[in-house]
Amino acid sequence: MAKAFKYGLKGITGFLEPAERELLRSLFDDVISMLEPEDRGNQDPLAAMIGLDMDVKEPSDRALRRLLPNVVKDDGAASLEFRQLTERSLRESKIGALRAAALELDKDELVLTAADARHWSTALNDVRLVLAERLDIRDEADADHVHQMQDWSQAEDVESYLALVYNFTTWLQESLVQAMLQSLETRP
Amino acid sequence: MTLSVALGPDTQESTQTGTAESTDALTAPDIPWNLVIWNDPVNLMSYVSFVFQSYFGYSESKANKLMMEVHKKGRSIVAHGSKEQVEQHAVAMHGFGLWATVEKATGGNSGGGKNGGPGKGRGKRG
Repeated sequence: MAKAFKYGLKGITGFLEPAERELLRSLFDDVISMLEPEDRGNQDPLAAMIGLDMDVKEPSDRALRRLLPNVVKDDGAASLEFRQLTERSLRESKIGALRAAALELDKDELVLTAADARHWSTALNDVRLVLAERLDIRDEADADHVHQMQDWSQAEDVESYLALVYNFTTWLQESLVQAMLQSLETRP
Repeated sequence: MTLSVALGPDTQESTQTGTAESTDALTAPDIPWNLVIWNDPVNLMSYVSFVFQSYFGYSESKANKLMMEVHKKGRSIVAHGSKEQVEQHAVAMHGFGLWATVEKATGGNSGGGKNGGPGKGRGKRG
């Protein structure tokens, strides 16, 4: 069984079983592949280098739209203009955090610096946002319903399995954030 | 064949006499904009408070107050500034996975929300 993250002298530490590490690795990889921009051969390399993407569109996938939301409510044109300037680098920073978190999974015991912890918390959060869309969590009542699912012996279909995975990542993120909040309190 | 005749800055002098400055002044960078955070059933309350504390440098009580406002009212204005400033915050919030939008401040700088017209008196903020 995984152990909750703790804040102590070594920084933020945690422990995950091999099967849990494999699960997280595949979740991080899934979200990375969702976020990787499609390779467009005719892309202007200079524009790509400085993060511009003039051909960008609002994502059609709901989960991806939650990860890369419109910046102006009810204004598609203004949001699209903003996307052209920022979406590529937002995707890259999210992928960077997910990759950094995945790298930490190579060790049995997790010992996280403040920067590692930040990568982990955003990576876990992005995983949870994607799982929540797949589970159709629209409001607090849906979230409560999914939260009821705690017993792995009940996992009989994809949805119940996803719900258990969602609850595991929620628990893990909550313990990490509590440790991070503690580290904020004791900062000089 | 053509001979490249590059114009140096000195040869362009006469075409640019002080017009650039006067047009820039019209974009008024100090029109206030709001950064709005929206509620969703996924983000942990502790995480949202952590983001407000660590990114904006807000105190624990201010961060928690704004977080509860998001949770109970569905949205909260968590920062003000120029358009560029709040857009930069919005990208950072999207990086954290929070649902953030920007909007022009209405009804002065009290930040009562989009539909809060004058006289509604919802100027409370953390």
